[in-house]
Amino acid sequence: MIPIGIWVNALLTLCILSFLYKDNPFFRFAESLFAGLSLGYYIGLTMQNTLRPNLLNPVIHEFGVNFNYLLIIPAALGILLYFRYIPRISWMARIALAVYVGYYSGVTLVQKLHGEILPQARDTVLPVTHGGANALWNIIMIIGVFSVLIYFYFSAEHKGALGRVSRVGIWFLMISFGASFGYTVMARVSLLMGRFSFLVNTWIRPMISG
Amino acid sequence: MNLKKMLFIDRRIIYLLVAAGALYPIIRPIGLPVIPTKPVAALYDAVEKMGPENAVIVSFDYGPSSEPELNPMAGAILRHLFLRKIKVVVLALFPLGGNEEAKSELNKVVDEYDLQYGVDYVNLGYKEGGQAVMKRMAISIADVFPVDVDGRPTADMPIMAQAKNYSDISLLISLATGIIGEWWANLVNPQFGVPVSVGCTAVSAPKYYAYLRAGQMMSLLGGLKGASEYEKLLKDGYASVRQTYEKPEEKKASATTGMDVQSIVHVIIIAFIVFGNVIFFATRKEGSK
Amino acid sequence: MKRTVPLVLTFIIGMYPIFAFFVPHRIASDLNDRLDTWLIIVAAFALPLGAVNVFMINLSKISQRRKGWPYSIVILAGLVVMGSIGIAGAYRQDSIGQFQYLFQNIVSPLQSTMFSLLSFYVASAAYRAFRARNLDAGILLVSAIVVMMGRIPFGDMLSHGSMTPLSEWLMTIPNTAAQRGIIIGAALGAASMSIRIILGIERTYLGSGKD
Repeated sequence: MIPIGIWVNALLTLCILSFLYKDNPFFRFAESLFAGLSLGYYIGLTMQNTLRPNLLNPVIHEFGVNFNYLLIIPAALGILLYFRYIPRISWMARIALAVYVGYYSGVTLVQKLHGEILPQARDTVLPVTHGGANALWNIIMIIGVFSVLIYFYFSAEHKGALGRVSRVGIWFLMISFGASFGYTVMARVSLLMGRFSFLVNTWIRPMISG
Repeated sequence: MNLKKMLFIDRRIIYLLVAAGALYPIIRPIGLPVIPTKPVAALYDAVEKMGPENAVIVSFDYGPSSEPELNPMAGAILRHLFLRKIKVVVLALFPLGGNEEAKSELNKVVDEYDLQYGVDYVNLGYKEGGQAVMKRMAISIADVFPVDVDGRPTADMPIMAQAKNYSDISLLISLATGIIGEWWANLVNPQFGVPVSVGCTAVSAPKYYAYLRAGQMMSLLGGLKGASEYEKLLKDGYASVRQTYEKPEEKKASATTGMDVQSIVHVIIIAFIVFGNVIFFATRKEGSK
Repeated sequence: MKRTVPLVLTFIIGMYPIFAFFVPHRIASDLNDRLDTWLIIVAAFALPLGAVNVFMINLSKISQRRKGWPYSIVILAGLVVMGSIGIAGAYRQDSIGQFQYLFQNIVSPLQSTMFSLLSFYVASAAYRAFRARNLDAGILLVSAIVVMMGRIPFGDMLSHGSMTPLSEWLMTIPNTAAQRGIIIGAALGAASMSIRIILGIERTYLGSGKD
């Protein structure tokens, strides 16, 4: 006997796949169900995994004993975020937003400079005079990085020497986009394989074999 | 034959061909060979050098949309870690489903080994905050995750004594879709020095080669191919794992079986590209005459 | 005042992670650690904001009987049921089971199947639109075919084992060079946007300036 969960799973899968023929109410129903349930999932997940252990439990169980009173600050900021729905005091939500956006902007600045620009630039400083074939690949790497960066420099018109170098950059970008296309095909086919494998092995085969 | 009409064939015929190509190997598996590559072998070799004195974080940063690619990867990596008796700390930073993927894969694999929860492995569950969580874990992992996925306090668990913060962690493995894998490589690795290995969906892999080359990632497993390569290395190294993957349920769900579907559909799509271009050039030639 | 205070806060809070990164003193790192802890909680409050927005938009759609309003009932029903079970799951074990059951049997397959539709669209686009009209498109096409053949066993079988190394070389050298250029360029853009936000030049996150 196939569990009802598998039947629901399979029928909803077919509802979504029906869109390949044309848009229809079954697809729209499944799409709306997904939208609602996934948003409800976020709410439940937030409550179970973060708000309860990191905020509510310390407030309820440690209040007056060992309570970290400073936890009131993030709780207040979090509640302030929802003031945007009350028109008269919606401006107060900006305070929470300012803290949230400011913090992640500061973290992102350090992350991008220290974690992306510097290591990537450092690895582009490569030896080109020794190492056999590696020296040739290093030359290609350096030319590639510089020509792509020059291509993205739009403050001057791409003509003359700048135009020729950015042309080389475009070729490198085309190789990369082709590679990305190939990998994207692989990713999408994997998803299709997953769903078909479920339909055949978990739903149809047990149904046929009884 | 009207070549120009063939350029505008009903797309549903294309869909049918793709569907047929994907279904055939599922119904009748082919069993094509897999050759491991260096970026994948780097992770295998690193894990082979570790043992019970090492603690590894495995972060489930993906959801159902990446399940077919990353579940086989997760299964193979967890099996390898448990075979080496490495302490495993599982957590999730991806909101839509990371928690569920962690639970289901971990629960499936731990039954195959003689392990004690809280001593050999722990599932800390999901936490919001992304970069804030990653930064805070440098000070104390138990502070960020005061309870595990089932609400049990983590501070007193024996495994957490071996995984207080990043300085105790020998390797961090992120199974990621989207940007979270990058954050481990461009925030945690450069700022805290933790070696990072990323298993990602094939969509992200081309970009991550840049992090791999710069040493911000010590290995990279890209998509289903990466998963199948790791399975191959594991099966070649451990007879017990080979037997596990011979079981019908495991075989059907393995990345190696999935590569059969990849192979057929890739050939179909390449044929479409070539055929489409042949007709395009042929009709262009006709037009210019 | 209503815009100045948030701008000043953005500056102070935004500068602090940068300051703490360069100043190793305990005073700097203690407050930075506290900020990290607080933002985990604030982020938890921020995540359901989208759900509240969707709730209000769909409620108004139902009350005004706008086009597609029956589907809004489905959205709201799903949101309320799953959200309620999820909140109950923070306190009751059996609700956690129901929460996971709904996720595994409804949310998970729906999301997977929606993304799997893309494989059909990729195939259709490959046939109808992927043309080597010029040198650039030709380079893209050849690169795509080499990588796709290199990722499957057939590629090596047809090329006596040379397709995988060729594909790996292509990924490791020219692809990495291009991606590195993109990463550096995008990182410079993101860093300059962060500076603009911290310094108060970029203020769109504060909303309209009506109050």
